[in-house]
Amino acid sequence: MAVSAQIVARRRAANVAFVGFCYVVTAVALVALAMILFSLVTQGVAGLNLNVFTMDTPAAGSPGGLRNAIVGSIEMATLAMVIALLVGVLGGTWLAEYSGKSLYGDVVRFLNDVLLSAPSILIGLFVYAILVKPFGGFSGLAGAVALAMLAAPVITRTTEDVLKLQPIALRESGVALGTPLWRVIQQILWRGSTSGILTGALLAFARISGETAPLLFTALGNQFKDWDHPLKDLTEPMASLPVVIFQDALTPYPDLNRLAWAGALLIAASVLTITILARIFSREQKRS
Amino acid sequence: MSQLAEPETPDVSIGTVDPSRVKLDVQNLDFFYGSNRALKSVSIPFEANAVTALIGPSGCGKSTLLRTLNRMYALYPGQKTTGKIMFDGEDILRPGVNLSMLRARIGMVFQKPTPFPMSIADNVAFGVRLYENLSKADLADRVEESLKRAALWDEVKDKLNTSGLGLSGGQQQRLCVARCIAVKPEILLLDEPTSALDPISSAKLEETVTQLKADYTIIIVTHNLGQAARLSKYTGFMYLGELVEFGETEGMFTKPVTKRGSDYITGRFG
Repeated sequence: MAVSAQIVARRRAANVAFVGFCYVVTAVALVALAMILFSLVTQGVAGLNLNVFTMDTPAAGSPGGLRNAIVGSIEMATLAMVIALLVGVLGGTWLAEYSGKSLYGDVVRFLNDVLLSAPSILIGLFVYAILVKPFGGFSGLAGAVALAMLAAPVITRTTEDVLKLQPIALRESGVALGTPLWRVIQQILWRGSTSGILTGALLAFARISGETAPLLFTALGNQFKDWDHPLKDLTEPMASLPVVIFQDALTPYPDLNRLAWAGALLIAASVLTITILARIFSREQKRS
Repeated sequence: MSQLAEPETPDVSIGTVDPSRVKLDVQNLDFFYGSNRALKSVSIPFEANAVTALIGPSGCGKSTLLRTLNRMYALYPGQKTTGKIMFDGEDILRPGVNLSMLRARIGMVFQKPTPFPMSIADNVAFGVRLYENLSKADLADRVEESLKRAALWDEVKDKLNTSGLGLSGGQQQRLCVARCIAVKPEILLLDEPTSALDPISSAKLEETVTQLKADYTIIIVTHNLGQAARLSKYTGFMYLGELVEFGETEGMFTKPVTKRGSDYITGRFG
């Protein structure tokens, strides 16, 4: 049977239409992203100056910066990532290597997926109920725990996924040498999954670095910081960039609004920097 | 009534090995994947310092048999065995056997090369570090010796600290052989070790096996009958979970006793 020119022409038209549609949709997404980045950079850069890094958050009308919020965010995010990495990597490893086909494993996996998409404000409320209310006050520690609860499911999930990508033969050849399974996991499987786990950790960091709602219920915010004891506000209300942005952006004062823009730019820049560094790191590792 | 027209052939023919030379003796072995019986009272002796090949069509149980010999199946709940496997007079299927020590004495190389994500030297040293506390110099010697025995030394001696993942498939497979013999096992299990390799790499690996057979008891599963004929002293032919025919390779390839064995070797099925 001869090829029908009509059918070919119709298929070609359908192909052009579909590819064209894909281009249009991609362009819409890119334009939106460019607009967000553009306003973020222009407004943020306008708000940036040395005071941002050397002075604490001001009251309206007086000069000030974001120093206490920056340090507070770094402290809480670091602590949160340490907790989340510990829980996430070990939990993901258990799900991938030890849970087998058990019902318990399935339940844990399902709950982790639920937690993965849980509204962050719920996490904030939960931590408020278990760490803030019973212990009589807002604290940086409670903030870090709330952030860790948001980050851990992401790391758990990606750890499980990348471990499952490792060939079964790799496990078996480790075991065939007489290596105990835990050592196969530690020395062979984790090593082969480092860049994947790192990617998961980055996704998690990106997720928590802009979270505001859970911090409102836990770390609350603080105009001041005791610079002689920079870790003291782990047990007291602690400032953070997202909360300061949230508060300052809502005020009618232009100087506070500018500070909020600067803070937003700092968050975006730090996520970008860490992502790039991690990419470079994992590429170097693959090459060696 | 075609049966009358054909010469009478036995259904099963199991030859023997001089009992004083048997290293590993499988006795009435049954293997179950859940309720599926994958090996049916298999009995087969493996002679010390000789190569025994296991052949047969896909799914006949040859790899399953191999995986019982180092108790690899113990990784998976739901897989179990009955019967005995005597290794130097001790039953390795008995509960309470130290699996790490067993696997140090019985090494295994897999179908696909499985270099660990670390340097070539660390790959070879990996197993050694589990069992021995060698000085740096001794460990380096062991790595060199193992790579030489696996006929890989000349190709990698200048890049021992680069990743094992950067080697070609054939080199990776010889790296796995080196990693295995570095532990100084007595038995080597090779599970279709050349099926993922090109002909030249396969030939090199066969050469390696030939060099090793004086010192190791080698059991090789293969789909390549030519390879079985070239390498092995004994051959076992398996079919549907049974050992159908076992004997000296030369006899089996020229004059298979059973009809199923002769059909397989002449290429009528499988």
